[in-house]
Amino acid sequence: MAGQPMHLLLQGVEIELLYSFVIIVCSLMIYYSTKEMYELSLYKGIKYFRQAFLLFAVAYFFRSFIKLMLVYFGTSRIIDINPRFMGSITLFIFMFFGSLAVFYLVYSLMWKKWNEKSTIILGTFYLISILISFIIITTRQIEVFFGVSIFLFAIAVFGMYLVDRESKNKKKKSNIHIIYTLLFIFWILNMIEILIPNMFQFYQILLYLSSLGIFLIILYKVLKKSGSY
Amino acid sequence: MKKRGRLEIIKDILRTIQDNRNSIKHTPLLRKSNISTTKFKEYFKELIEKGFVKEIIGNSGQKTIALTQKGFDFLERYKTIVNFIEEFEL
Repeated sequence: MAGQPMHLLLQGVEIELLYSFVIIVCSLMIYYSTKEMYELSLYKGIKYFRQAFLLFAVAYFFRSFIKLMLVYFGTSRIIDINPRFMGSITLFIFMFFGSLAVFYLVYSLMWKKWNEKSTIILGTFYLISILISFIIITTRQIEVFFGVSIFLFAIAVFGMYLVDRESKNKKKKSNIHIIYTLLFIFWILNMIEILIPNMFQFYQILLYLSSLGIFLIILYKVLKKSGSY
Repeated sequence: MKKRGRLEIIKDILRTIQDNRNSIKHTPLLRKSNISTTKFKEYFKELIEKGFVKEIIGNSGQKTIALTQKGFDFLERYKTIVNFIEEFEL
């Protein structure tokens, strides 16, 4: 990265900022367009669903912040940022909010099953998110990054599998589960892209377009079903 | 018979009030709600706290229950909320 001309770096930053901005706007639109429905119903499923997208908005905000810092400090790896605590804190916040967003979205599907134990389960999700973030900032090994990503994805898919198993309406349920699975996959790829620079160098635009596509599909469904569209 | 969910019970209570020209006494509302007295008290307390219904004391001193604007809004949006919950499996 240090060897690249400044105008190319800035061009990259513009794309990064635009990408994060669109996803943050989509997430916030999902959050605010469901506000009235939640306030009227106080339905817990809607609450967890909204919180998941608010957390995604925060995570993507810190993602763009990390990208800006990388350009500012002229490095390609966040752990090389000096002062080190600045990079570590930002990475911790990004990982924490991102992981929690995934957990909240899975919990929005399965909260009915474990409603009485919601404090314990949500507490566990917070604890795992802190643990994941801590492992990421204290480890510099690529194997650990992959391990954490696979672990996070496995929890998300396992949660959806549990819901799917008890589902009566298989056809309809699989639709939203496919969208969520893709959302989780692209979130994890976004995470890996931050942790391991240049990993998707040639496929970066494809990754960004796919991630945007998933968020736009969810936003469209939310606006349509919430009566805002 | 399918067990009604929390949202459906709230909708039924509010609909009953609306269908009675937005004025009904406690006892007929309890009877028409088709839930136990204990449950009814819980739901009624929640509806008052949420601001969906209000108690009105008439000239004769009798209490009646009426929907607030928020209660009307809930009934109007009920179908949308249920569709949304089903679509996203919440």
